Amino acid sequence: MTILLSMSTSIRRLAISLLLIVMAMGTQAQMKFFTLQKDSIPFFRGFAVSFDLVGAGMLALSDYGQYEAALRVNLHDEWFPIVEAGIGKANHDDEVTRIYYSTSAPYFKIGIDKNMLKDKHGPNRLYLGLRYGFTSYQVDIARPDFTDPVWKWDTGYGIKDAACKYHWAEILVGIDAKIFGPLHLGWSVRYKRRLSHSEEGDLDRTWYVPGFGTYDTSLGGTFNVIIDI
Amino acid sequence: MKKWLMVVAAVVVVSCSSIDCPVNSLVLTQYQFTSSGGQALSLLDTLTVATTRKDGSDTVFNKGVNISTFYLPISYSHPEDKLVFHFDGEGQHVTDTLWIKKDDIPHFESVDCNASFFHRLTDIRCSHNCLDSVVIINPSVTNDDTVIHVYLYPKTGD
Repeated sequence: MTILLSMSTSIRRLAISLLLIVMAMGTQAQMKFFTLQKDSIPFFRGFAVSFDLVGAGMLALSDYGQYEAALRVNLHDEWFPIVEAGIGKANHDDEVTRIYYSTSAPYFKIGIDKNMLKDKHGPNRLYLGLRYGFTSYQVDIARPDFTDPVWKWDTGYGIKDAACKYHWAEILVGIDAKIFGPLHLGWSVRYKRRLSHSEEGDLDRTWYVPGFGTYDTSLGGTFNVIIDI
Repeated sequence: MKKWLMVVAAVVVVSCSSIDCPVNSLVLTQYQFTSSGGQALSLLDTLTVATTRKDGSDTVFNKGVNISTFYLPISYSHPEDKLVFHFDGEGQHVTDTLWIKKDDIPHFESVDCNASFFHRLTDIRCSHNCLDSVVIINPSVTNDDTVIHVYLYPKTGD
């Protein structure tokens, strides 16, 4: 129904914010941040695939969560462009309000991580990263019939297959530690912000958004099993 | 490393979650007695409004005196509400009936908030004993209690 912020406005604001941050940094610091370390290590260092255990655990133990995998490119052990994709699901039946909420949809994130350690080529990494996420999903909301408090007739309540879209950004801090061979383990803490959203009909907002989580949560995390390929 | 721990701590501090149900969850229709010039009028009579419920007739607004605006409930899912206005003046009792057609829209805030309905008024008509006419000013009925939805125009001299 309502697009609170148009996509172009949101992206423009994000771009301006990032530009201001970059401008605020000293020129010398900028150059240091974006310049690759000079050494004999090749620029392209391979790919890594990963799987998130936190989202899968949430899905197994609670009413919502996600299966998420990622493909990451290693550029000189410093920059890591990444694509994350998953399926987010919610199947919640609230005991108090008796509202049933259901959705299941794929989502996608693209972004980049920067290795912040001085020893870029060591076995461990400390990441600072950004993500842009998007999902298109459908929501079912229902409740058993209840009595109109004034007129006393039984009333049905439900929204079926409401089509929604959601765009968001994440900033993250993460750690990646080499265990043995190609196997790494890592975690990340993510701060998430909605950029824009749209819902079909008169639905103002949704509760769980695949890949983002519940609408009232701005903090998330992952624990990843990572394999270099 | 200390610097990074501070960054993580800052992220944790600025991130929070909350249950965000609206403070005012009542969805009511607001009416205003209005002159033909568009000015709010104070009603000198005593106003009582009744409707027909599942279990019979009942009062939904009781003995309003010297009022110009007032709130009435709106049914969750009936396509048309019938409201009977009782005007009691000096030894006089006059009734008028309003019929309000509407679309009922399920409203969702969160699974933590109770189910509610918003409404879109589509048509309104009335008998003409005391009232000259009724007009929908704002068709969207939500939990915003600042909006006047219907103007009631009394007959001149009433």
